[in-house]
Amino acid sequence: MKSILLFLALTLPLLGTPSDAVLRVNSTIQSYSASQPWQKNNPRKRSGLGALLKDNQVLTTAEMAANAIYLEFQTADKSKTLPAKVIAIDYEANLALLAPQDEPGFLTSMTVAELSPPTKLNEQIKILQLENNGTALTTAGTVRSMSLKSTFLPGRYFLTYQLKGSLQSASSSFTLPAFRDGKLTGVLTSYDAKDQISDIVAIDVIHQFLKDAADGEYLGFPSLGLSYGTTQDQHFRDWLELPENSGGLYIDLIVPDGAAAESQLTKNDVLIAINDQKIDSRGYFKHPDYGTLFWVYLINGNKVGDTIQLTVIRDGAELEIPVTLKRRPTPLLDSHIYDKAPPYLIKGGLVFQELSVPYLRAFGKEWQNRAPLNLLDVMSNPEDYRAGRRKVVVLTRVVASDATIGYDRLSNHIVEKLNGQPVEGLPELVKAFEKIPANGIHHLETDDSPFQLYLDETLADKVDQQFLKSGLSSLSRLYPVPSAP
Amino acid sequence: MKCLLAFIAGLFLISLASAQKPAELYDSVVKIETATQSYDYRTPWNTGRFSGGTGTGFIIGENQILTNAHVVSDARRLLVTRRGSSQKYPARVLHVAHDCDLALLAVEDFSAFSQLPKLKIGDIPKLESEVSAIGYPTGGERLSVTRGVVSRIDFNSYSHSQVDSHLIIQIDAAINPGNSGGPVLQDGKVIGVAFQGRTDADNVGYIIPTPVVKRFLKDIEDGVYHQYVDLGINTFPLFNPAMRRAFNLKDDGKGVLVSNVIIQGPCDGVLKKNDILLTIDDSPIDSAGNIKIAGEFLDMNEVVERKFSGDQVTFTLIRDGKKMNATATLKPTPASRIYAIRYESQPRYTFYGGLVFQPLTYNLYVSHQFKNRRLRQLYNEYVSEGLFVDREDLVVLTRVESDRLTTHMGAFRGQVVDTINDIKIKNLRQAHEILNAPNPPEFHKILFSGNTLPLIVPSAEATAAGERIMRQVGITQASRLD
Repeated sequence: MKSILLFLALTLPLLGTPSDAVLRVNSTIQSYSASQPWQKNNPRKRSGLGALLKDNQVLTTAEMAANAIYLEFQTADKSKTLPAKVIAIDYEANLALLAPQDEPGFLTSMTVAELSPPTKLNEQIKILQLENNGTALTTAGTVRSMSLKSTFLPGRYFLTYQLKGSLQSASSSFTLPAFRDGKLTGVLTSYDAKDQISDIVAIDVIHQFLKDAADGEYLGFPSLGLSYGTTQDQHFRDWLELPENSGGLYIDLIVPDGAAAESQLTKNDVLIAINDQKIDSRGYFKHPDYGTLFWVYLINGNKVGDTIQLTVIRDGAELEIPVTLKRRPTPLLDSHIYDKAPPYLIKGGLVFQELSVPYLRAFGKEWQNRAPLNLLDVMSNPEDYRAGRRKVVVLTRVVASDATIGYDRLSNHIVEKLNGQPVEGLPELVKAFEKIPANGIHHLETDDSPFQLYLDETLADKVDQQFLKSGLSSLSRLYPVPSAP
Repeated sequence: MKCLLAFIAGLFLISLASAQKPAELYDSVVKIETATQSYDYRTPWNTGRFSGGTGTGFIIGENQILTNAHVVSDARRLLVTRRGSSQKYPARVLHVAHDCDLALLAVEDFSAFSQLPKLKIGDIPKLESEVSAIGYPTGGERLSVTRGVVSRIDFNSYSHSQVDSHLIIQIDAAINPGNSGGPVLQDGKVIGVAFQGRTDADNVGYIIPTPVVKRFLKDIEDGVYHQYVDLGINTFPLFNPAMRRAFNLKDDGKGVLVSNVIIQGPCDGVLKKNDILLTIDDSPIDSAGNIKIAGEFLDMNEVVERKFSGDQVTFTLIRDGKKMNATATLKPTPASRIYAIRYESQPRYTFYGGLVFQPLTYNLYVSHQFKNRRLRQLYNEYVSEGLFVDREDLVVLTRVESDRLTTHMGAFRGQVVDTINDIKIKNLRQAHEILNAPNPPEFHKILFSGNTLPLIVPSAEATAAGERIMRQVGITQASRLD
């Protein structure tokens, strides 16, 4: 009885205006097959909500739009639809900005949501949901805590609010707008039914995202480009000769080509403050309004091109180091390949792909244990494989053909050389295949037994023609090699 | 015609041998009771688990009782009982071969057994021929006899060590716990030793055939068991026409590619990567690496099955387009036992300031279920990449005991030690000695493979904390290095 009363108290039809700024977003999402990259998996449908902003633009989550092959807006009562397109998308922050494909249609009859100023701890916000018949439902709650969380792409942390309150499942996703005093203050990205906790991407992140997107060229959030360890261990601190209570993060690796690499920062420095905000030994700092936050906020709360001031301890002395922030450098392994068809090459039945995190993830729920060890090691220790490589090319599988007799069971070998030339990436491999050795036989070297394969160019070509005849649309999908900066 | 005669003559001999009544032979089948102690690799200082079991054995010579290695593994006490008697006779292990699951026992006083017949070791039985398995399986106290038919003779894996494969005879008589080590008889001769069953199939039993038994008995003739030897190479089939052309080979289905030669193995310095093997001991090798011996189609590696350490193997091969001969002298590859289950041996470890270091073995790997990718990678490549040359042990930080000293060290658990104080770690003893050096640096700096963060251990505090932690955790001995 008590719980029903509570439910009634929390869920009331919305009387104010925000619901007039909320519409449905429906998307059809289709990803590429990891093992057969020339084809797509079955499409899935997903629906969530978006908030109408100025210029007929609609804010929703990146989850709704990533890998979408069709997007549409729909009125709350589901009476009208409108094809939509992506203006800007940030997979890290889990935000997407959409617009109608052509005419604004029913958007013109809606209200534009205002953006709220930053929300503080313990302030009340309301989550908006739509019933099937279009009735708006709100669930109110207070911001219990703020933290940096990854809501879509793993390992990318952004400011989020945590809200306690029971939500009903209204559609196939929990992409829901959140309001404070009638103004948009966040986008709910996930809801834990067991603990009744929702994560909401903070308005601060939305402001940054929209500002970046405003000029039509979306850059993305900056990163520092390093790896670090915490310094809670007093013995570790003693060894580093750190002063009492200084906190700090021990920098154990600087990523090549990142912002840190282009500054005076070095390995073994201990980062104790960013823009005079002191960082504790676990990497947290005290924000005046938001409480204790993870240090990454002090990086991605800025924009690309901003210069921040780092304070480090090096050889017992404090040092000020300015760092101009930039996007994270192109990694050896792509962490995601959304909205981009994965590159591949088929040559005589040998299938080559560039190693990526999604490729490893395709080994299933237990992928961290089940994916091939040699490939997992590249992910764990990319620096060990970077020499002479732009990307790691993998012979992912062999489609049995006349040219692959004896090779049919090989899979997931890291490609090292073709005809004696180191393989830097997939387009480079394609180019290397174009140079045919005098005897007409290509010599491919890999990391695993038998460490080398031979492929007859004439036969491989014949096999490739057969593949094309039997329905394969293309023997390769390549992207140009980015020119050196 | 000649071979028919030989066959008949053979039958004649067999019938002579089987003049002895089966019942009398059964008296030579004895029950073995074991009390065991198996060590716990998670708490290497503890006594492990005390337990026991029963098996079967049979008399093959003067105070020689043959049984399975797994019947007597980890045994603290062995008792042998004769059929129809309740007297228990203490016994001991003369030789144990974990790689082929055989063991030879002796009783302290053979006089009570000396009148019993000594079972003769026969040959490989024919497919479909009938055999009887004799033993003391579960379900009763007295001797049991089950009959079956030889259903398959194959090269297959011996589960006792996890890593070894030899010839196996499959019979359709069930082999049950307690049957292990018992003789399987045909015409009054032993044609195998019952040793394993299957959990995924009924009425299937496996027996160790006599060539494996005879090899074991021959190996121990000099008083020591030397283990099986292998070639220490990896091969890759030469099916692919382009590959054959690249190596200038005719399309005749002959020759196999050497894809890897294990460092310090028997073929190191004899064969090279990219050699093409044409014959082994004069038997032609096909492109899949198979040979034919006496009409039997075998993997070329089976040639060394009947050989011993010190024996030679000859090859003809093609290297860089030239035909040549090579001879390898066989020897065991001890490093490859990292993948074999260990018995009897007490786990090695060293304890320092709440940190427990152990060398990586199959037992350790299984008991800790390590997840660290670099550790798994090093374990996988330990033999094939010859890592054992520089690292006799892969030293793993297996435990971080709770204490104020170690509060923040837990994250390093399950990783392989690369260096201590910038010295590459080769084995457990070296790690132990560096950590316990008489004049240690103020801080020990331990780096792990694939991790750029160091683990810092203050040496003075660690020494002081060590005793305290040992008392708390119940560690009685700070290290076992041998």
